[in-house]
Amino acid sequence: MTRNEPSTEIEYAPCKLACPILTDAREYIQLIAERRFEEALTAIMSQNPLPRTCGRICTHPCEQVCKRGQVDEPVAIAALKRFAADGPWKDRLRQVLPKASSGHKVAVVGSGPSGLAAAHDLALLGHTVTVLEKLPIAGGMMAVGIPSYRLPRDVLEADIRTIEDLGVEVKTGVTFGNDVTVESLTGDGYQAIFLGTGLHLSRRLNVEGEDLPGVLKGVDFLRDVALGKPVTLDASVIVVGGGNVAIDVARTALRVGARDVLMVCLEKQEEMPAAESEIEEAREEGVAVVNCFGPKRFLENSGRLSGIEFKSCTCVFDEKGAFCPQYDENELTAMDADTVIVAIGQAADLSFAEKDGLTVTRRGGLEADPITLQTPIAGVFAGGDVISGPATVTKAIAAGKRAAVSIDFYLRGESIPRSEPAIADQVASLPPGVIERTRQFARSKIAGLPVEQRLSSFSEVGPPFSEDLATKEALRCLHCYLGARVNKEKCISCLTCLRVCPLQVPTVSKVGEITIDPFVCQACGMCALECPVQAIEISLDPGGEIAREVEKAIASSQHLERLIVGFFDLHGNFAKKDLKGLREDYPNVLPVMTFGLRRIDRSDILKAFECGADAVFLAGCPPNRDPFPEAGDRIKRRTAHARTQLEAVGLDGRRLEIFDMPDEGLVEKGSITELIQRIKEMEPSPLRVRR
Amino acid sequence: MITLEQKQFAQIKEMASHYDRLLVLGCQTCSAMSFAGGEREVKELASMIRMERKISGKPGDILEDAIARQCDPELVDLIGDKVRGCDAVLSLACGAGVQMLAERFPDKMILPGCNTTFLGVTEELGVWSERCAGCGDCILDKTAGLCPIARCSKQLLNGPCGGSVNGKCEISKDVDCVWQLIIDRLARLNRLEMLEEIFPVKDWSPAGHGGPRKMIIEDLKS
Amino acid sequence: MKSGSSLERILESGQFAVTAEAGPPKGSSSKVIQRKGDLLKFCCDALNVTDNQTAIVRMSSLSGCVLLKRLGVEPVLQMVVRDRNRLALQSDILGAAALGIHNVLCLSGDHQKFGNHPTAKGVYDIDSIQFIQMVKTMRDEHEFLNGEEISGDVPLFIGAAANPFADPFEFRVIRLAKKVKAGADFIQTQGIFDMPKFTEWMKMVRDRGLDEKTHILAGIIPVKSVGMARYMRNNVSGLSVPLEIVDRMADAKDPKEEGVKICLETIEQLKEVEGVHGIHIMAVAWEDIVPRIVEEAGLMPRPVV
Ligand SMILES: Cc1cc2nc3c(=O)[nH]c(=O)nc-3n(C[C@H](O)[C@H](O)[C@H](O)COP(=O)(O)OP(=O)(O)OC[C@H]3O[C@@H](n4cnc5c(N)ncnc54)[C@H](O)[C@@H]3O)c2cc1C
Ligand code: SF4
Ligand code: SF4
Ligand code: SF4
Ligand code: SF4
Repeated sequence: MTRNEPSTEIEYAPCKLACPILTDAREYIQLIAERRFEEALTAIMSQNPLPRTCGRICTHPCEQVCKRGQVDEPVAIAALKRFAADGPWKDRLRQVLPKASSGHKVAVVGSGPSGLAAAHDLALLGHTVTVLEKLPIAGGMMAVGIPSYRLPRDVLEADIRTIEDLGVEVKTGVTFGNDVTVESLTGDGYQAIFLGTGLHLSRRLNVEGEDLPGVLKGVDFLRDVALGKPVTLDASVIVVGGGNVAIDVARTALRVGARDVLMVCLEKQEEMPAAESEIEEAREEGVAVVNCFGPKRFLENSGRLSGIEFKSCTCVFDEKGAFCPQYDENELTAMDADTVIVAIGQAADLSFAEKDGLTVTRRGGLEADPITLQTPIAGVFAGGDVISGPATVTKAIAAGKRAAVSIDFYLRGESIPRSEPAIADQVASLPPGVIERTRQFARSKIAGLPVEQRLSSFSEVGPPFSEDLATKEALRCLHCYLGARVNKEKCISCLTCLRVCPLQVPTVSKVGEITIDPFVCQACGMCALECPVQAIEISLDPGGEIAREVEKAIASSQHLERLIVGFFDLHGNFAKKDLKGLREDYPNVLPVMTFGLRRIDRSDILKAFECGADAVFLAGCPPNRDPFPEAGDRIKRRTAHARTQLEAVGLDGRRLEIFDMPDEGLVEKGSITELIQRIKEMEPSPLRVRR
Repeated sequence: MITLEQKQFAQIKEMASHYDRLLVLGCQTCSAMSFAGGEREVKELASMIRMERKISGKPGDILEDAIARQCDPELVDLIGDKVRGCDAVLSLACGAGVQMLAERFPDKMILPGCNTTFLGVTEELGVWSERCAGCGDCILDKTAGLCPIARCSKQLLNGPCGGSVNGKCEISKDVDCVWQLIIDRLARLNRLEMLEEIFPVKDWSPAGHGGPRKMIIEDLKS
Repeated sequence: MKSGSSLERILESGQFAVTAEAGPPKGSSSKVIQRKGDLLKFCCDALNVTDNQTAIVRMSSLSGCVLLKRLGVEPVLQMVVRDRNRLALQSDILGAAALGIHNVLCLSGDHQKFGNHPTAKGVYDIDSIQFIQMVKTMRDEHEFLNGEEISGDVPLFIGAAANPFADPFEFRVIRLAKKVKAGADFIQTQGIFDMPKFTEWMKMVRDRGLDEKTHILAGIIPVKSVGMARYMRNNVSGLSVPLEIVDRMADAKDPKEEGVKICLETIEQLKEVEGVHGIHIMAVAWEDIVPRIVEEAGLMPRPVV
């Protein structure tokens, strides 16, 4: 698709576009870059009811499409979310208050992500929600599927507690269909029901010997481990399957005593559905993988499993890419095993359906409208894996959120809207020239736990980002769709934007019309500042905003004897504590943070003086961290120009300084102290209004 | 385009000092393109004047505005109310704009904040150079498309003079000798013989030496 | 005879002419010109009176010419188009004719930026070639530039300048041809130090037959000091001073003597160049040396015509 055509599409950053719940990752990434961590978490929480959980186990489709990935490697969005969701500030966060009670009661069946998301959003809308869960613990597959070394239980519990804090009641050990029914719930005053019951049966291979003792079912095995049932394995284990679940099974097997774990799957290495990184981690831990075999039968020895016979698989998918395995029945291989765990997929347990008059689809799921999630029974909605088939936590959350909207409309007696925003289904490509001109910054990486330590427990495999690393990583974001927008009515086709853009994004037509591709633009701000008629608006750190911040900062610091406005480039290598330190060490310095000094216009500097600043300095980030180092010289010349302007109005030009930030921290103490000293030797600013 | 430069602040300050309520009025065409008086410079200059006044204890309000062009009456009239509400207008347009304001607002003092420099081209961002002198009788067909009137320091029509060295004009090593450029271009075009002709004396009357110029298109005018 | 000037007569009779420059003062005293006239009277055939040379205001060249004329010296009236438009130029030409001045040298003039009034408005209404053509028309057709008739004669021997050392070199002869075509009867060249380049130029001049259509007087600048040599080499555009000359001046025990020697050598060589019909000595602020140079170059006595 070409971006430049006028379109009714909503311009979503690729990361947002790819996210099933349309999380605006960009927003919290920016906040992290600005060291506003609490706000980052608030932003996440306003979109995602399970932030801590998702920070760890989301499959992060956002990263696959991240624009940065076209330049070097995608922004580590998932790790950033986890960073924001986990930090100590999480406890300081103020709870969002639900709307006043609507008086409606909703029952949510299943405490998986779909159910929890629906409960969360419904509660916020003022409805009274009860979650009914069959198992003794809440969380669905997040609790009993995903192993705790990937998602520590306390993390999940914390997320669930936050939802409970909204007034949601979670009742475990209640089986829909047995303990309660549509009828009984209606009788108890529930006006709507959401079914998010997931897929909790393991698919069968349907080959000889499958019911032998020693043959386990994948999700059952994981559930048993998760619920703390006594599961111990020894000696050799074969896991059948090549997906993420199979990997979880294999790695869990290692943690409950298995000596050798062998994964056997139909697919070739590169066709395996499991994520590459997961396979890699499993291998590191000692899981062996054998490709291109399909089970023919289980082998028995004196009533117990002794091994499994495989036929070789020649091809898994047909020309259309559909699953259609072909075997060579002549080539058989037998492998010994004490235990075989079958992890080839999940199915829904819909035993409750018939009783309640719900329709089961041919694929073995519940029937529901794909957009409104209404089932044929009035007031009953369904979503998540049980509708979509095996999917992901975020997709389940998306379903839960959508269900909440539908239910809300339903409860208010309004018809449920069916429209969905038209969004582009494909991410555009950056022009090669822009890729070339974009400065590369390596993705921040953190070492995982050593293997021995991982295997000896279920403790979490990946450590979190440090503050430093997180901000550095967040600053890699290329600010999709936050950049320049030309106001065509104002533009005079002077071509300044085209000439000044370090990436050469703007183009001009024969009639002088300027086009700035909002996807390609990286919001560096140069054009918006230099445009002589100020026809360019920019969303990231707009100029007017900077001037307002200056005014605000000065207005709120009138008690100080001398005022120094310091413009800081957020790309500097400093931490939150440095900001605090600055405030303590130099109370006279009023910091104004920006995504690059290139955004500071002479008028911003003049503004500061006009408002009464005694001095102004610009602190540029170290060149090795500057995404647009080529602008450095221009910034220096611009500052020099501002200095002559100051002198022209009768202010000492030495009141304006520009310096580079140190390699670490906010300011070089020497230069600040020197500036302060200089100011002290001068008269106070004649422009200060003394109250 | 017409290029302009903002006057030295000292000069602006001086001429504006007699008026308390001052409107700094930008022109969003040539002046903006010259970075002399577009919206951005209005903002900056207004801020400077305010500061200067505060420092020197002078009273007054500084208003800011910018219009698309100051050389057209209809556009100028659009800010009539604002102009009437102040003591003087500091126009950041070219001389034409300043005079249009003066014409439309006979009771108001209009001050020029810019110098009109020349008719030229943008060589690159921040660099402009003169190309045309508005002589009213274009001769570029005879000079290989390079204007000796605008670009030869002596406006020679039969150049180059004896001061041309290494392609540079005698007045400065930074100024190209346009006659060298003309010769080079004619050589490329294989038309060097054009130089053998004596270029006749030029009629300067259309260049403004025939009195103020006016242009009328009969079928357009009312 | 076009003008009846002695310079014309000497040149037309095939004799080797000698002219020199006599700059008017930055003041109103007639003495300076008179002194220069007396000094150079016997060693030169005519004296050029410069016209606000290097754009520095001096007594007008027309008045200088009149002062010389009173002494019995033949003047060459230099006129630049920098300071006068076509009206002023034509009226001054008429005045010169009336005052009995018979030689005029038509020039562009140094740019006003170099002078002592750098903020002046340059006139440049017409250029030097158009000026030559205009004077010729006045003389030969008795017509003003606008075609109106002139009453009375305008007997002027028309001169022009040529600089063989300016760029582009190949064009220099074409430009000379234009000046000749416009009506230049004689040419005074820029000072010559770079003999090879000058002879090369002269060959091109002869190839075009220009030496037969006009009289070329080669420029001579006596150098007083190594500083002056260096200054001219580095700072005067359109002057080519080879390093060798600078070195000779630098090494000389008596630089003034060396300067004279260089002049004499140059003149000796110039006499041999076919098509050179005379020399023009520009001894700015060193006029005293001119008689000696002319004497030692074997060009004395000057013919009486
Ligand atoms: C091993 C494994 C690993 C996975 N890893 C990831 C991962 O890393 N990232 C990712 O995004 N996704 C992962 N998934 C997928 C993800 O967990 C599911 O897509 C998601 O949990 C589906 O959510 P849900 O709400 O639809 O159902 P579930 O999470 O399955 O929740 C359904 C809940 O309903 C309960 N329930 C069912 N029937 C009844 C009933 N009759 N009465 C009461 N309660 C009932 C169940 O006990 C369960 O608690 C993984 C899945 C598995 C199996
Ligand atoms: S560059 Fe930033 S905004 Fe763009 S896709 Fe990546 S994370 Fe999202
Ligand atoms: S800089 Fe502004 S006015 Fe100039 S072309 Fe770009 S948008 Fe238009
Ligand atoms: S904001 Fe920066 S990257 Fe975007 S168009 Fe403007 S100059 Fe180019
Ligand atoms: S050097 Fe060239 S540009 Fe300069 S005055 Fe002479 S001819 Fe004109």
